[in-house]
Amino acid sequence: MTVFNRHTVSRHRDRAAAGLLDHDFLFTEVGERLADRLDDVKRTFPVALDLGCRTGILGRLLNGRGGIETLVQSDLSAAMVTRAGGVSVVADEEYLPYGEASFDLVLSNLTLHWINDLPGTLAQVRRSLKPDSLFLAAMLGGDTLVELRQMLYAAETELDGGLSPRVSPFADVRDLGNLLTRAGFMLPVADTETITVSYPHPMRLMDDLRGMGESNAQIHSRKGFTRRTVLMAAAERYIETFGDSDGRIPATFQVVYLTAWSP
Amino acid sequence: MTPQSVDPKLLEILVCPVTKGPLTYDREAQELISKGARLAFPVRDGIPIMLVDEARQLDS
Repeated sequence: MTVFNRHTVSRHRDRAAAGLLDHDFLFTEVGERLADRLDDVKRTFPVALDLGCRTGILGRLLNGRGGIETLVQSDLSAAMVTRAGGVSVVADEEYLPYGEASFDLVLSNLTLHWINDLPGTLAQVRRSLKPDSLFLAAMLGGDTLVELRQMLYAAETELDGGLSPRVSPFADVRDLGNLLTRAGFMLPVADTETITVSYPHPMRLMDDLRGMGESNAQIHSRKGFTRRTVLMAAAERYIETFGDSDGRIPATFQVVYLTAWSP
Repeated sequence: MTPQSVDPKLLEILVCPVTKGPLTYDREAQELISKGARLAFPVRDGIPIMLVDEARQLDS
């Protein structure tokens, strides 16, 4: 099923690459947690892949941890990859260019939620792993941006009398363990963590999402972009419904961590 | 100035994203050739661009 326009995903990342340093909070935060999880595994992983590396954030955090000697950094966006340095490749996560049994470890930090054919990508990841090797990933889950979603839907229903998908859909955590098993992985574990970020205004959240390269990339977005009036109405509702006494608003990011081993 | 080459460790593991078959590195043209898919993937500043949209179609 094609939900995401991969060209749009790529374009959003290209545009975000130069200014990502100002919007990398979530990627750094989750990247650190992935690095911690890797530290807990008492193994060394000489050859590793960072799938969806953006500007090399995870690689810099890891800095050789986990016994990584070679880290291949790949992203769909050339503008991101050129900033990553090291051993890097521009590649589509839906069509991986890696031979069988290439890696001791495949990592992915907040990229898999943009993939249409997740079972296909997981099967390709599993084939690229050597036997008894680790897949460790974080992706955004279904409760991500729940506030923004509700407010946009409410505003749009009121103003336009209809809905169109404004915020990307996310995979359900219960499905992900099954997907890993079907992709041929062993000992799959999926667990979630909720990170709540406080913003001074809903528009700052929208700016941040754009700066992260995480704007909506669904094929069926009705007009390609959300009308200003809808946005303003949604922002107003957001503040009314969720704002605290200082007028700040929360934004929920649900992070799903996936751990699995190749047979 | 000689163009930056693809990292040798990376060359060992890269395959064609379409066929998963082997690639030949043309250092002169800075391209990775997939005979199976009849595609030439460009290498820019030592970075292989393994996207079908960016690849050059080879004559059959």
